[in-house]
Amino acid sequence: MKRSLLHEFTKGFIEENATFRMVIGMCPTLAVTTSVKNGFWMGVAVIFVLTFSNVFVSLLRKMIPDQIRIPIFVILIATPVVIVELLMRAYLPAMYEILGVFVPLIVVNCIIIARAEAFAYKESVLRSFLDGLGIGAGFTCNLMIIGGIREFLGTGQIALGSFVFPSVKLFEPLVVMLTPPGGFMTLGLLMAILNIAVARSAQKKAH
Amino acid sequence: MVNLKRGSGGIAVPEKKELSSSAKIVDAGLPNELVLFLSQHTGAPASALVKAGDSVKRGQLVASTQGAVSAAVHAPTSGKVKAVEDRYHPVQGRLCQAIVLEPDGLNELDESVRPRASAVEDITKEDLVALAREIGLVGLGGAAFPTAVKLTPPPNKPIDTYLLNGIECEPYLTADDRIMVEEPHDVVFGFRALMKSAGVKRGIVCIEDNKPEAIEAMREAIKPFGELELAVVPTRYPRGGEKQLIQVVLGREVPPPPGLPLDVGVIVSNVGTAYAMAQAVQKGLPLVERIVTVTGEGVKTPCNFRSLIGTPVSYLIELAGGFSGPVGKVIMGGPMMGVSLKDLNAPIVKGTSGLVVLQRGQIKREKVLPCIKCGRCVEACPMGLLPVWIAACSDSGYLEDAEKYRAMDCIECGCCAYECPSKRPLVQSIKLAKNRITAKRRALAAKK
Amino acid sequence: MGEKLIVTPSPHIKSPRTVKGVMLGVVISLLPACVGAVVLFGMNALLILITSVVSAVVAEALWQRATKQEITVGDFSAVITGLLLAMTLPPGVPLYVPAVGSVFAIVIAKQIFGGLGSNFVNPALAGRAFVLAAWPMSVAGAWLNPLTHDAVSSPTPLAVLKGGGTNIPGLWDLLIGNRTGSLGETSIILLLLGGLFLLVTKIIDWRTPVGFLGTLFVGTWIFGKPGALFQGDGLSAILLGGAVLGAFFMATDYVTSPVTPKGRLIFGIGAGLVTLLIRLWGGYPEGVTYGILFMNLMTPIIDRFVVPKYYGYEHDARARKSAEGKR
Repeated sequence: MKRSLLHEFTKGFIEENATFRMVIGMCPTLAVTTSVKNGFWMGVAVIFVLTFSNVFVSLLRKMIPDQIRIPIFVILIATPVVIVELLMRAYLPAMYEILGVFVPLIVVNCIIIARAEAFAYKESVLRSFLDGLGIGAGFTCNLMIIGGIREFLGTGQIALGSFVFPSVKLFEPLVVMLTPPGGFMTLGLLMAILNIAVARSAQKKAH
Repeated sequence: MVNLKRGSGGIAVPEKKELSSSAKIVDAGLPNELVLFLSQHTGAPASALVKAGDSVKRGQLVASTQGAVSAAVHAPTSGKVKAVEDRYHPVQGRLCQAIVLEPDGLNELDESVRPRASAVEDITKEDLVALAREIGLVGLGGAAFPTAVKLTPPPNKPIDTYLLNGIECEPYLTADDRIMVEEPHDVVFGFRALMKSAGVKRGIVCIEDNKPEAIEAMREAIKPFGELELAVVPTRYPRGGEKQLIQVVLGREVPPPPGLPLDVGVIVSNVGTAYAMAQAVQKGLPLVERIVTVTGEGVKTPCNFRSLIGTPVSYLIELAGGFSGPVGKVIMGGPMMGVSLKDLNAPIVKGTSGLVVLQRGQIKREKVLPCIKCGRCVEACPMGLLPVWIAACSDSGYLEDAEKYRAMDCIECGCCAYECPSKRPLVQSIKLAKNRITAKRRALAAKK
Repeated sequence: MGEKLIVTPSPHIKSPRTVKGVMLGVVISLLPACVGAVVLFGMNALLILITSVVSAVVAEALWQRATKQEITVGDFSAVITGLLLAMTLPPGVPLYVPAVGSVFAIVIAKQIFGGLGSNFVNPALAGRAFVLAAWPMSVAGAWLNPLTHDAVSSPTPLAVLKGGGTNIPGLWDLLIGNRTGSLGETSIILLLLGGLFLLVTKIIDWRTPVGFLGTLFVGTWIFGKPGALFQGDGLSAILLGGAVLGAFFMATDYVTSPVTPKGRLIFGIGAGLVTLLIRLWGGYPEGVTYGILFMNLMTPIIDRFVVPKYYGYEHDARARKSAEGKR
């Protein structure tokens, strides 16, 4: 039974959530999520690359020989990565400075090559497009949630452009949340919570 | 005196021997009914030679051996066989075939009971081994392994030392202590008979240093015999286990299972066994009675009884003045390794060295808490094992890992569970693993 | 005789030692040093101790309530965590530090991993490491002068040494705790009193503290003085910082240290080594926390490879040897 088109998009949020369910793409997840903003732009970059590569892999799937498909995927992924990198450098130089090496590193991001191999290589263009969009959007959400928690606890505030919430610091910020240990802890706890929630709902369904 | 070696592990437990250690051995007399299990020993059960309605006499053979590792059963007194039926076996915890005997009060001796020799020199090695088999002699320390089998080691395993085990490391029990104090010459006689039957030249009497009276008595009794030595072992549970005894007295270690003491040239027998052997040689009396300590805070007058095999537990407890108050547990054997009885009609078997009655107030129902990895069980284990991990593997079903942690080496002495501050039933967990590993091995062997 | 009998598997007698008893023993052994801390550093020390213990206990109770488990705060393990955490903090920290530290220690380091017996690092130390990383400025700079209780900007003696200075308090002052430092780490005599109590009651094994302090002493003696071997001040290395507190009360935590005696010696030596490395060549003035935490992580490995020689081992070893010889 083919899944509905809508489902190809929505599955990326919970069911096949890249970070918490498949546990891939950990590098940027831990490295750049010190604020909501960083998470958002990293996510956008991934959405762009993922959708682009999914569509092109899917388009060319009948022509790509099996034996050398991985090098071809890498080329198909590298292209949008270079585009994103140049665009960011031109229009968001400050953000590019922060994200740094993690933007070019999207080439080897597990999520993208995994979707190319496991999904786009077998599915139609439309489905691949939706899949790329959905998984990417789910990933972006993860980065923003982790970033939000870390930013709030680590700086005492969440800054979205000129809007800062809360306007006064309610507590002494916990610097540790901005460091890698803070990232790991946030990730681990969120993963645990999501797993409990999924297990509970599965239990309910079974009853 | 023998120079002692270093023993491993073990624990100090409250001894509580003083309750009954000065009580002279008294005859328990005849109960109304005797129950003789056909399986009172390690190995194949004996097969019954009598049926309901038969009359038997004291010392008459009522069940003969079956197979190489087995022991015969004799009638402890004269009377009528009431039934041959299944009864609940207190030690094995299941229904087992038993001969139920109703004593007639006459206590007539069977004609087979006749003196064999008055000195060890007057009887041959072969006759001694045959006698041990004939009288159904088993190790009286608790494991009840048929003695005749021990006495005939394979020729490629030379035995150089015979240890007489008078350690009695279990708390409360004083049966062996009393035998040594009251009948030291018979014990030495029996020991020398056992040594002769096994062809062993060196014998060591081992006693724990908490029995000064027994040590003195035995020291006197072995004086005339140059081949006998005395080893006074510092009190520590479970030094009386044969592996631990061999380690501390001789500095040898029995190989892991299926290794036996004879693999390191040693045979170990209990003082009770030696005493029974002396009775057999001097009077021709089969193994129909033994010394049983009835003790514990739960009985009014702790005693040491000379009791017929098959005597009901309830009879002995009544004889010891009955319960001193609300009863908690009645333990057959010592409190560390014994079995708590559910039914006081259960009879004494050959391996029963004592009955320990604990008051209800002494039994604390303690909650089992999670293991805190304090490592007390590791330090306590006399076998150098890691009870904490064996039990953890067993509890979570990892049998292979339990086996790798050498679950099968466990002697179930209970040191780990005694020491555990979380009150975890470690022995039970390890026993479970052992049973399941054995079952798995059997299944594998059957497949092949 | 119709009495109802209790039937259980053997052994039928058990040692009087219980988990609660052991934990209570540890609490008692910590009390002298806690009283000493209050005497030295005043009310603030008392408030920190109370805050820390109360939040640890409340956090444990609430967590167990929320996850529908049996509430086991009566076993004193949370009290120990709270006390130990408080004792590792400078006397001038704001009260939210011990509060948050205790909650982190109990919920994140202990309960999430399964509660008593299942945590993989010492909860108190995990709590301390967390608050130290969270508020480095207020935790590492809130020292008070003993007895006068006024805030000082001068560093602790260890930090003085780290900076190349030599001006540290005399031996007597170090022993009675007349120096700046964390709440519970300064009064060495009172700590040793508690440690001795634990040793005598056989609650802890001597191997861990001896391995720890011995390594620290010898290591500092050999390498302590830059440019010269065998001239370092080993004694001060033990008396300064939290070495005694850590060695007797934290490295000996049952759950997170090995189960075998040999393993515990290795644990102690390892923790001493890491502490030494951090103190002499690392970025922090003090390394006891990380030394012990590091060895906590090594504990499963130690437990895997350091196993006692089982009875009959010699026989098996000989058999293996002769089998190899034949080949």
